[in-house]
Amino acid sequence: MVGDTKTLPEGRTRKRRSFHPRYPAVLTSPSLIYYAIFFLGPLAILVSFSLATQTGFNAISYGFDTSQYHLILQSLWLKIFERTLVMAAAGSILTIIVGYPIAYWMARHLSTYKMLALMLVLVPFWTSFLIRTYSLKIILDSNGYLARYLGINIMYTKYAIGVGLVYNYLPLFIIPVFASLERMDWSLVEAAEDLGSNAFSAFRQVTFRLTLPGIVTGALLVFIPMSGEYIIPDILGGGKYEFVGNVIGDQFTSAQNQPFGSALSIGLMVALSAFVAVYILLATKEERFGA
Amino acid sequence: MTDKPDHLNILAPQATKAKLDGLHRRVENVAGRRLSRREALGLSGLLMLTAACGSTSTSSGGGTPQATGGGASSLTGKPLENHLEIFNWSEYDDPSTYKKFMALPAEAKAGLNIHETYYSSNDELLAKLNAGGTTYDIIVPSQNAVAQLIQEGKLMALDFALLPNIKYLDPKFRKPSYDTSGKFHVIKDFGITMIFYNNKIVTEHPTTMLEFYKLLPKYVSKGRTNVLDGAEEVVPLALMALGLDPNTQSASDFTKVTNFLMSIRKGVTTISSSSYIDDAIAGKIILSQGWNGDVRRIVQGRQKEGDITAVLLQGASEIWSDNWCIPTTAPDPVAAHAWINWLLHPATAVTEMEYHNYPIPIPSAVSKVPASLRTDPLFNVPSSYTDNYHYILNVSPQVVQQRTQIYTQFRAG
Repeated sequence: MVGDTKTLPEGRTRKRRSFHPRYPAVLTSPSLIYYAIFFLGPLAILVSFSLATQTGFNAISYGFDTSQYHLILQSLWLKIFERTLVMAAAGSILTIIVGYPIAYWMARHLSTYKMLALMLVLVPFWTSFLIRTYSLKIILDSNGYLARYLGINIMYTKYAIGVGLVYNYLPLFIIPVFASLERMDWSLVEAAEDLGSNAFSAFRQVTFRLTLPGIVTGALLVFIPMSGEYIIPDILGGGKYEFVGNVIGDQFTSAQNQPFGSALSIGLMVALSAFVAVYILLATKEERFGA
Repeated sequence: MTDKPDHLNILAPQATKAKLDGLHRRVENVAGRRLSRREALGLSGLLMLTAACGSTSTSSGGGTPQATGGGASSLTGKPLENHLEIFNWSEYDDPSTYKKFMALPAEAKAGLNIHETYYSSNDELLAKLNAGGTTYDIIVPSQNAVAQLIQEGKLMALDFALLPNIKYLDPKFRKPSYDTSGKFHVIKDFGITMIFYNNKIVTEHPTTMLEFYKLLPKYVSKGRTNVLDGAEEVVPLALMALGLDPNTQSASDFTKVTNFLMSIRKGVTTISSSSYIDDAIAGKIILSQGWNGDVRRIVQGRQKEGDITAVLLQGASEIWSDNWCIPTTAPDPVAAHAWINWLLHPATAVTEMEYHNYPIPIPSAVSKVPASLRTDPLFNVPSSYTDNYHYILNVSPQVVQQRTQIYTQFRAG
């Protein structure tokens, strides 16, 4: 079965190449069980909550009541959904604008200090999310330097929330883009320039396109948590600019209305799934045409 | 001034307590200030998670599995248990109160030990009780949670034969609107909602909640204005300002209050119950609502500048309370009664008030606290004010949902 070993020199054996999996699929069962219990389980609970009827404080009777989903369509909740997605989209675009040049500089211009730069990007990410957000509060303070000397007084507005979003999620964008820039073959840029392309069009036609999967991955990595953001709007928006996350929180805690809170959560998930679908479409397209 | 408003009091460490407080301190360090126990914020979820982790290890001592029924008279003659499980707000009772209680003759003889875990919001307490399987003997819900728990049949009717010290309590606090029978709770302490402003900037002298709201749009451009957050604060406080019932169920009242809130919304810089204390002490807030204990700290913090005027409101405002209650499922009801009775003792109440700086309605105790506390109207709020104030209740799921919706609209603008 091992094949014709005698034709190989020095006694090396060659395994017959097989396209069948080498290990039985049953070995994945621990992972699958984990996934089922800790991901699908809570999701199922959330769905059954959203279809239940509220019978009292923190009390529900299970059933198939879709009325909570109809409630989401009231203009108040739609407005908050729209606001959340617009803010997350704007935040993602700003993150690209801020993060791409940093990743590019790190990959292209640094050699000795490349790893140090990478560390400097990552280290703030290891400190508590709350600490970072509260430190922004000091920087953006209406009596702070930014406000006094540059006239940038944006504390407790949506612009402060925007700054908070970009700052907190920047490393999540820089890392995948840095990775794809690192993998890139820079001689392609030289070739483009040799063939008469100027620096900008070489970037646009070669570098940008080759790193697009990294950009899309990074943008998605920041867009999704931004959409579910809860702390940043609360701290930097002064409680006056709610994201869906805050509204869901209010429904579970102060209103003690699990069905509506669950329906809002699922609404957010559906909205986000649309973006993920676009991503998968884009990603597979890249594969098809060979990036 | 003997008060140390920034002093951090920490109880003797127990496994869960240490873990929780570590987190609490970390959050405080982040915030750069002491968090008041009434802060829900988004942090409560985090704390809830830790509390949930801690609760798995709480089953210590020898409690009987389930107390059958909640009958009041069934307890007389029963022996004192050797364990007491308390679920409380963090840092809410003087450490010596626990030690002295365990050293009382009967308690010492029974070898009684106390185990305490902590929550950071009523929502968290209600969620825990609702999930079931808890073995708490003592809980400390605020007035709205008391009313809700009575409605849900989760509170034990107290056996007043085991609470002889109830005679010290001001009778006016025995049968409040949230427990009209007075059978299910004993008040722990109370507070009120008031306003404060920077008197170098605000030239008017607002004396009612309505006047406060009307000044907001005028002064928002001059500095930060703030209202307390939460659907259960924003909506009922505005209802009271309009002279309406804070616990109303009427649709027309809700329309009126929505229109009113939206009309003053542009005058509000922040909607927060957590960040206003330190920011006000730093001189960043010019006009705000606040709870009397917090406002007291702010006034003390700005003593040097002397620019903060605190106003106890004429007319209607909020009075809130925290209360000792025993869940029907309490495994150690006799010990729980003994605890409440101990807290009703005037000497204990004096120690407690000096520790947490909230008034306990036991007249013989209030007369014994230091004069700096006793004569301060922000601590010892005169009853000429509180007589007009109302408890805010969770009337029904529909009303609470309606308030939450108005609150969301107010925040969204």
